[in-house]
This record gives sequence, C-alpha cells and structure tokens, in this order.
Amino acid sequence: MKKNPYKVLGVKEGASYDEIKKAYRELVKKYHPDRYRGNPLADLADEKMREINEAYEFLMKNAGGAYQYQYDDDDNSTSSQGSSYQYQSQQSSQYQQNTQQGYADDLELERQARACLNRGDLTGAQRILDRMRTRNANWYYLQGLVFLRRGWYDRAYSNIQRAVNMDPTNFEYRNALNNLNNQTYGYRNNPYYYNTYRNSPDMCQICGTLWCADSCCECMGGDLISCC
Amino acid sequence: MFGYVEPDKPELKIREFEVFRGYYCSVCRSISKRYGQVPRLALSYDLAFLAVLLDATSLEATHGDVVRCFAHPVRKRFVIRPNRFIDYASDMNIILAYYNLEDKWSDEKNLLGGCGCLVLKNAFKKASKRYQEKTKRIESLLDELNRLEREKCDSVDAAAEPFANIMREVFECPHVEDEKKRKVLGWLGYNIGRWIYILDAWDDLADDVKSGSYNAILTQYRYDGGDLDAFKAGIKDKLDFSLTYSLSECEKAYALLGAQKNTGILDNIIYSGLIVKTDKVLQGRCGNNEKKSI
Repeated sequence: MKKNPYKVLGVKEGASYDEIKKAYRELVKKYHPDRYRGNPLADLADEKMREINEAYEFLMKNAGGAYQYQYDDDDNSTSSQGSSYQYQSQQSSQYQQNTQQGYADDLELERQARACLNRGDLTGAQRILDRMRTRNANWYYLQGLVFLRRGWYDRAYSNIQRAVNMDPTNFEYRNALNNLNNQTYGYRNNPYYYNTYRNSPDMCQICGTLWCADSCCECMGGDLISCC
Repeated sequence: MFGYVEPDKPELKIREFEVFRGYYCSVCRSISKRYGQVPRLALSYDLAFLAVLLDATSLEATHGDVVRCFAHPVRKRFVIRPNRFIDYASDMNIILAYYNLEDKWSDEKNLLGGCGCLVLKNAFKKASKRYQEKTKRIESLLDELNRLEREKCDSVDAAAEPFANIMREVFECPHVEDEKKRKVLGWLGYNIGRWIYILDAWDDLADDVKSGSYNAILTQYRYDGGDLDAFKAGIKDKLDFSLTYSLSECEKAYALLGAQKNTGILDNIIYSGLIVKTDKVLQGRCGNNEKKSI
C-alpha cells in the first residue's frame, strides 16, 4: 500500500504549495545522498528519498494548490517537473577519473575494490587493497572510504587527507575530505543546538567586571559605583 | 556503561523532562521487580536513553502512573508503565553493569568491582538466560576488547571497535520487528558506543598516566611522559573530529529511524545533549564523576 503523501512530507492535508515545497526542501536536506555517502545506511536513505520525491510529485500534480490563486499556477507547474530532486549515481564517472595512474592489474584490483565497496563488502575490499602494490593517492582514498564505512573515522580522515596531499588537483578526493568536514560542521551547527546561554556571562563575572571597572575609575580619581 | 548519554537539561521542556525521568524510573523499577533491590544501583542514564529510543519505534500508546517509590520516599513520581522495551533496557543494564564490574575487578583488582560482581551474579545469570545468543556475542566482543588492551593496540579506532560493536548488539533489540529499523538502531548503537569509548578514554587520561594503565589515546599519539596538558591540547582537534563525526553518524541514523513519539527528548539528546557532553569532557570541565542521579 502506498503511504499517505501528506504524512511522508509531514504536512497537514490541504497544505498550500508553499508549505509543501518548504517541507520538501527540508526533507531533501535531511536525507540528501551526499550526507549518507559512505554510510552503511545509504540504501535506506535512498529509499526514503524516493518516497519523498514520489510524494512531492504526487502532491504537486494532484492535491496541493487547491487553495492557490490562478497566477501561481505557471510557477508551480514548472517546479513540479523541474526542481524535484533527482539523484544519480556518480560511480561510473568516478571509475574513469582515476584510470590514468598505476599498473594495469592494479587498475583491475582498484575496480574490484570499488565494486566491493559499493556492495558493502568491507572485508573483500580490504583484502583487495592489501594486495595492491602501488600505494598512490587513489589507494589512500579507497582505504579511507573503507575505514569510513567501517566506522573508523580517525583513520578514514588521515587516509583521505593523505590522498588529497598526494594529488591536490583531484576533485573526488577533495570532495570527500570536504564532505567529512562538512558533516561535523553541520552537526555542530544544527538548528536545535543553540549555544547562546552557555557563552553568556554569569553573575560572578558581571560582579567581577563591575568591581574591576569601579577600581580602575577610582585609580583615575573618578568613581563608577559611589557606594563602595 | 558510563552514563555519558544525557539530555541537555536547560533546553528540555519540563513535560519532556518528566517523561524522560519517567522512563528512567521505569527502567529502575523494572530492575527491582525482576532482579531485586540491590541491582537497582547499577542503573545508568544510557539505558534510560535506550528505553526512550526503542519505545519510540513503536506506535503503541505510552501510559504512565504516579506512584510512590522506595528510592524517592517523599514525593510521588510519574513512571512510564513497563513494556517489553523497558524490560529489555533493564536486562541489558544488568548485563552491561555486570561485565563492567567484572572488568574492573580483573583489571585493577578493584574491591568495589569484585563485590558488585558477587552481588550482581544472580541477576546477571537470570538476564543472560533471556538473551543467550546476545550475551555470547557480547562476551566474545569483550574478549576481543581485552585482547586489544593487552596487546596495547595503537589505534583508537581499532580499540573502540569492540565496545562499539557491543553497543550495536545492545541497540539491535529483538523486540523491534522491522529489520530495517534494527539495522538503523545497530548503526546508531555502534556510533554511540564508539563515542562513549573514546570520550571515556579522554576522561581517564590523567588517571591512566598516573597508574600506567593502557589508554588507546596515549598509545596512538605516543605520549612520552611529558606535560599532559600540552599533549592533550595537541591532539584535541583530532579527537574532536572523531567524536563529532561519530555523533553526526548517530544523527543520520536517528533521522532514518523516524521516531514515532518521544521526539522532543530524543531530538534534545541527539542534537544537543551529546555534543554538550562532548565539549564538557573535552574541555575537562567535568566528566564521569558528576552526580548522576536525577
């Protein structure tokens, strides 16, 4: 049975186009495949993304907009086809990017390692990597991906960092490194986590500052707080 | 278990806090009802979190009662009515607490650990009988953990893995029917476990230097006996990354779980409580020795 598209997007039934679009954008951000790259739950995120896309397209075509004015129509009909998020696997292009370096059999091993990684077969990928003779940037990159998938983030980071250092021009490596940094940055700066009250001064600090200021003023011959 | 998983209390609504405490009390009462009064002392926050999380995977309505409790004789408390998730969390609490005490006893000949072990022995036997397969797997992971410690493993990632996998076992609750959800819970557990292990290692740095015991952070970054504060400052960013990345993976798993209820509390813990705790421990302002009872 198909799920209720309103529930999938988390909006009320009969919500306006704008509300649907807003909810849709939030969800795309949350389940974006970039966020789940190298994650063992990537397939589940993909599934969720498909569900969200289907629900969004369905609502854009059918239900939503019942309360819309006429002049909004054009805008919405284009967006329903155009802006819906489509995820395409980049794997095939990635193979070609990295085929310039290394020996022929290493290339074959590399291809196998990537295939293992895509299947989620970590032991297989690790075994192939151990067999490879050249330890080039690409090797470190793949090793980093294996560690990432395994949950060894410290090693993943240092391996990918090393790949970037060895071949700073490679877009894929830099992208992966940026992605790691973005994940932690994004988590630390999530909207739920307000950091404000933790940094605000407490009573002790305020009193201390006042007392200091008063003493300074008195040194100069003036007075800030007259009673002491 | 170390009790690092806590809500960020100032951000919590009073009602949400009440419910969270309701789960905490319920796990505690579930232990007392099935294992007796003394094992209650093994109660930990982390398992209360597990109870809240597991219960959120089902759509069943949550009921609560206001009861008078032995541990808080003055005021009546709101307690969530026990269900299979709460009982599961309390069983796991007993199992983990027992192993923790056993570890303390065998490592440092800590008398408290030895006594605790004896006291918990019966409760542990009862709990492990309920989940024989799980206990067996946890035990073999513990063996691995001890082996790595004996071999003075020089990678924090590798040293943290067995404990992380224990938490994966614990979070993969057999009462959650949906296999996908179990997988998501397992990944969440792995990352929480990893986070707990590394955070605890950081928290124990000073003690471990003093006593000369094994600490994965000291071996990986080759502590040479110099100024510990300088050593800590030098590696803080790396550990910060490692810890925060683990938490971001928890958050991703949590997003996929699609919690059906308790979202206020869970959001608070996942998005805020854990990172607040990380910062506190990394700055060394507090840690394990904080008072833990609610």
